[in-house]
Amino acid sequence: MNKALVLNCSPEMTEGITRLLGKQVKLIDEPLKEGKTFKKYSLIIMEMNGDRKKMVEQIRKARYICKFRNLPIILMTKEEKYPHPESYLSAGATEVFSLSDPPAACRQILQSYMIPDRKPLKEEMDYLNPFISNTSEILQKMAGIQANFKDVYFSDDFRVFGDISGIIGLSGEAEGTLIITFYWDLASKIISNMMSVDEGNINAELIHDGVAELINMIAGTTKKQFVGQPYHFNISLPSVVIGSGHQIGHPPHSSITVLIFDVEAFSFAVQLCLKPSNNNIRSSREQP
Amino acid sequence: MKVLIADDSMVMRNIIGKTISEMGHEKIEAANGYEVLLQLAKYEGRIGLILLDWNMPKMDGFEVLKRIKEHKSLESIPVLMVSTESEEENVKRAISAGATGYLPKPFSPEELATAIKATMDAR
Repeated sequence: MNKALVLNCSPEMTEGITRLLGKQVKLIDEPLKEGKTFKKYSLIIMEMNGDRKKMVEQIRKARYICKFRNLPIILMTKEEKYPHPESYLSAGATEVFSLSDPPAACRQILQSYMIPDRKPLKEEMDYLNPFISNTSEILQKMAGIQANFKDVYFSDDFRVFGDISGIIGLSGEAEGTLIITFYWDLASKIISNMMSVDEGNINAELIHDGVAELINMIAGTTKKQFVGQPYHFNISLPSVVIGSGHQIGHPPHSSITVLIFDVEAFSFAVQLCLKPSNNNIRSSREQP
Repeated sequence: MKVLIADDSMVMRNIIGKTISEMGHEKIEAANGYEVLLQLAKYEGRIGLILLDWNMPKMDGFEVLKRIKEHKSLESIPVLMVSTESEEENVKRAISAGATGYLPKPFSPEELATAIKATMDAR
């Protein structure tokens, strides 16, 4: 049976959700706490209250506790109108809607978020495995940190929220983007380990620089393994984005793979958007 | 001995610099290709080894390597390329352009120290 976590929902809201979802979903009411794992839930439902700033903070906190997992956060209100939904969406909410919207539509939206993530195909893992193993090996070698690959998501709309992202452009026979996203605490731990200095001596500039170098190494090492294959690429110089709860956009209709790694109690995400370039597809079609 | 570390990453310069210092050498840094040339001019004849990253802004490591090897007063300085660009084709290109050694990133401090010693021995 699917389980949904209801956070700060009034009895009226819980009753409304129960009416929509029926008995096929068990609603569980428990407080938001760091260190909790939300893996058993299919989605989180929060009720929108009047204080927008507080609400945004709560969404951010829930997103952080989700540790990059593809767990939809649905924000619901009893009011007919809900101004500024974009501020909740950019904080990490997946959907904002009202109980006064047509029930059939509400039901469909909620049920659509409970469809389990699909498992990767063997062909997909063939080109993802080098990225996975190189990410773990680089962190082990450079920082003495064991990163365990845990989950993979395929999506064109799953958004990763983080504090610092290293981005590298991929071009050539295959093209796209490779991104590594951390929350600040893990990024700081990794860079301090890499430099063999106390975390207290690590500043934002060093973290910025170190994350750029990490994505450069992951892309560069993986590139070597794709020589002679349709997924071979060249790499650009890396860029870094910093900002609490930022998200990186992708071109519309891009197929994004999100790889989740755990490092002790922390997690980080590697996003890959890679496809053989049009030139490459064209030339392979032209071959007799 | 003075060792010039050329890498656009401050973190990498720091990591490499630690090993250089532990080996008893003095480190000098450059953050891009132009800075390498400037440091070589500044420390004329006193740099004994160059650790050169491939992917750097302004002027990449391969271009720097070619310029060093074209210059009579610099061509004898051993160059250890240190790069994520470790495909066989790139290694061959660097060695034919005059690099003494090639160390792929990532590396451990032990691997770095071994590569530095091997580069010095190969002079």
